[in-house]
Amino acid sequence: MRWKDFIGSRWVIAALAIGIAVGAWNGYIALNDGGLVEGRVVDGGGRPVPGATVILLERNFVMHSERQRTRTDAAGRFRFAGNDNHSLRVEAESEALGRSELREVRLWFRAQNVSLAEPLRFAGRLP
Amino acid sequence: MRRRKGLFTQAGLIALSALMLLPFYWVIKTAITNENIYAYPPRLLPHHPHLFNFVDVWYLIPFPRYLLNSLIVSLLVVGANVAFNAMAGYALSKEFPGKGAVLGLLLSSMLVPFQATIIPAYLITAKLGLINSYLGLAFPLLSTIVCIFIFKASFEAVPHSLIDAARVDGLAEWRIIVRILMPLSKAAIATNVILAFIWSWNAFLWPLIITREPAMQTLPLGLARFLSYLEDTTGALYAFAVMVLAPSIFLFLMAQKEFMAGLSSGATKG
Repeated sequence: MRWKDFIGSRWVIAALAIGIAVGAWNGYIALNDGGLVEGRVVDGGGRPVPGATVILLERNFVMHSERQRTRTDAAGRFRFAGNDNHSLRVEAESEALGRSELREVRLWFRAQNVSLAEPLRFAGRLP
Repeated sequence: MRRRKGLFTQAGLIALSALMLLPFYWVIKTAITNENIYAYPPRLLPHHPHLFNFVDVWYLIPFPRYLLNSLIVSLLVVGANVAFNAMAGYALSKEFPGKGAVLGLLLSSMLVPFQATIIPAYLITAKLGLINSYLGLAFPLLSTIVCIFIFKASFEAVPHSLIDAARVDGLAEWRIIVRILMPLSKAAIATNVILAFIWSWNAFLWPLIITREPAMQTLPLGLARFLSYLEDTTGALYAFAVMVLAPSIFLFLMAQKEFMAGLSSGATKG
């Protein structure tokens, strides 16, 4: 009876609940911390921009500094691997279209795999 | 008529509680936004709330390390307080020659602020070789006079016949404390746990002078360090404050019933 009272006490239940939540969160992190950042780049009309340079900037305590750059494929897609930060900025640049918006990307944990829901968009249109 | 008066009293108390909770609400609101706290007119409801300030705090400074240090020190303090204060409280609940002088000495010691004794405390800790250690961080809070008196009051409320019966049954003095008095003093234990935890958790000056390296720092020191690094990030700073406060508030909410009972035990006779 005593151990049943102990198990049913709010202290044990609260500790167990916290332990389960922390365990579940760490499990989720372990499954999703590949450091992938991917997305698309489109022009003002929504058409994919191939060959644009995409720059990944990461937060460096009080400022953001460039970490990687890559080029978009024929479908306007880009992909970065090996990100280990939690606060990023992504922007694209193209000789024909100039610079895109600077997109802030906040992650819930370091190296979280993320796919940008909205594509990076240039103001101008491809000819 | 009486019912209406009761309703007015309740409404007044609720309004007063809301007023007292307003600073807490403001801290949480600022932590989940990046709003300037000096903005005028102030916005009552959070605008575009998010939790990323908490993520920043977790990663921009070694928050998990500070948290671990604070937890270890607080657990040491809580465990030592319950053990030592119970023993001291039991001794003071007995009659012995010079008891009045001991009580007077303890009460008068409470009048001396810690800042006045911090240099001798530091020298003793250094002589014991406890500088920059968890035990050194916990050292001045291992027993607190207020909590000794809480145990004393609680033990005095236990009928003497119960202790006499235990002694007749052959229980040693320390087993009387552990087996008879402690189970009957849950409120005093909860009060000790909460007060010791909060005092240890919030301690700033002692950890500041006793630690030698950042890896041994506790959360309040981390907060000061964070403030010096990121003085313009109000949201992250308030998020840090919420993360420092949360364990104390959680512990208090969990044990508030026993805490209230513990503070008022011994307040009335009979």
